[in-house]
Amino acid sequence: MERHFIGLSILMFFLSTLPGYAGAPLDTVQTNVNKVLDVARDPKLKGESAKRIKKEKLEAIYEQMFDGVELSMRTLGKNWIKINPAQQQEFIQLYRQILEKAYIDKILSYTNEKIVFSKENMLSNNQAEIQTNVITSSKEIPIFYKVILKDGIWKVYDVVVENVSLVQNYRSQFNSILAKNTPDQLLEILRKKVKGQ
Amino acid sequence: MLRSPRTTGSCSPYSSERTKERGIHILKRLSFLVFLLTFLAAGCAHRSSPVSPLPQLVKVVSNSEQIPLKSPEVSVTSGNESADRKENPGNGEEGEEEEIATITDPLESFNRAMFRFNDKLYFWVLKPVAQGYKKVVPEAPRVGVKNFFSNLKFPIRFVSCLLQADFSGAATEFGRFAVNTIWGVGGLSDPASSKQLNIPKNEADLGQTLGVYGLGQGFYIVWPILGPYSARDSIGIAGDYYLYPVSYITPWYDRLAVSAYEGVNDTSLRIGDYEFIKEAAIDPYVALRDAYSQYRQKKVEERRGQPVPPKPGGVR
Repeated sequence: MERHFIGLSILMFFLSTLPGYAGAPLDTVQTNVNKVLDVARDPKLKGESAKRIKKEKLEAIYEQMFDGVELSMRTLGKNWIKINPAQQQEFIQLYRQILEKAYIDKILSYTNEKIVFSKENMLSNNQAEIQTNVITSSKEIPIFYKVILKDGIWKVYDVVVENVSLVQNYRSQFNSILAKNTPDQLLEILRKKVKGQ
Repeated sequence: MLRSPRTTGSCSPYSSERTKERGIHILKRLSFLVFLLTFLAAGCAHRSSPVSPLPQLVKVVSNSEQIPLKSPEVSVTSGNESADRKENPGNGEEGEEEEIATITDPLESFNRAMFRFNDKLYFWVLKPVAQGYKKVVPEAPRVGVKNFFSNLKFPIRFVSCLLQADFSGAATEFGRFAVNTIWGVGGLSDPASSKQLNIPKNEADLGQTLGVYGLGQGFYIVWPILGPYSARDSIGIAGDYYLYPVSYITPWYDRLAVSAYEGVNDTSLRIGDYEFIKEAAIDPYVALRDAYSQYRQKKVEERRGQPVPPKPGGVR
């Protein structure tokens, strides 16, 4: 009887420490998205001069919210192991900068949009999909976040906008470039892109 | 004026005059098909619009010299690349079902040329016109116009649902059409989607229907003015055309004007989307091709799995 009790309490202990239950993925994404919206809508940060502060704040949130390594690995797919660690590091940085550059202005323009967090799908023990809807005055845009549990934190590794996966979209582009170019040339293309056309 | 919409094959050759007239009409239709659809697609109809079944983001086609990457070396990727993508393992722990959406592109050099053409068309013609229109007309009426045209596309959704044996979907569409036409003032507003009624739209079209029956996307093709399509969806939009009442407006220039207006109105509601995609992309041509393919693929999967089954491997 006592053994049963001990076994049960051990089980309970493990269950309680098991992360990823009770909507944790959704809560994490929601918290981060709300932080982003707070920055975008901060009444104290108005005008062009405040834009830089906003960008810095958003970059900090991005670091918490996204898993840059996972994102890069998934985006390069099989090409990831074909490049050396130094190239991998640079790729992670450049890719992050490209995404930030592309999305920050878009995000900062989100002022009146309403975001509804509708559903959390567990894809596996440590992966989940959070379904959201961005509602604007003229349309509704479904945006899904795919998150993975790393060191107890749910981090985003893919964003699916209107059924189009960001990771897969960039993967098709990088594959297309790597089919004709070396990894170094790819990095050079990305550097140019980051510096701005 | 609107002629009563007929189904594609329902020829009624009772009088030879009628037949002749019909022949002329078909000829006219064919010759203007490209033009009309062009405006619709380039005009980036609503994402549900069967005539241009692209996501808003993917709507308008194009690319241009502004993109640094568009060097000749890059633009020659095609055959081996699509093969590449198929074998791509995706690197996720358990190879997720993310690699499904691929589309072959044997016509890449032609497609890239069309892509540039459409890009210019957007920036030089469509966008300036839509911007001017946007300045004059407030957003609410523009959304109303969009709803109106969307309501007119009811036959496409209805017939597609029937063909997919989705009878509840067809019934829903019928109900939506009735509600929106009567209480929505001819479709200008969308009371069916309101919180009280909450009848969602069935985004069904013929290209998707072919997909539901197992037809693959086929190759990728960028039509001038029309934009990105798969071979399958090209067949689909040809059919959709006959289910769309606007296609039966005579004379042809009225029809063209209506279609052009629809295109401009839709574009006015999403100026910036295409620019954004282009800006974010390393190679905009490939980005759009992939986005199109993913989008359409998921549209078919959604309908195939009615009622939508839980994700494979899902825990809940």
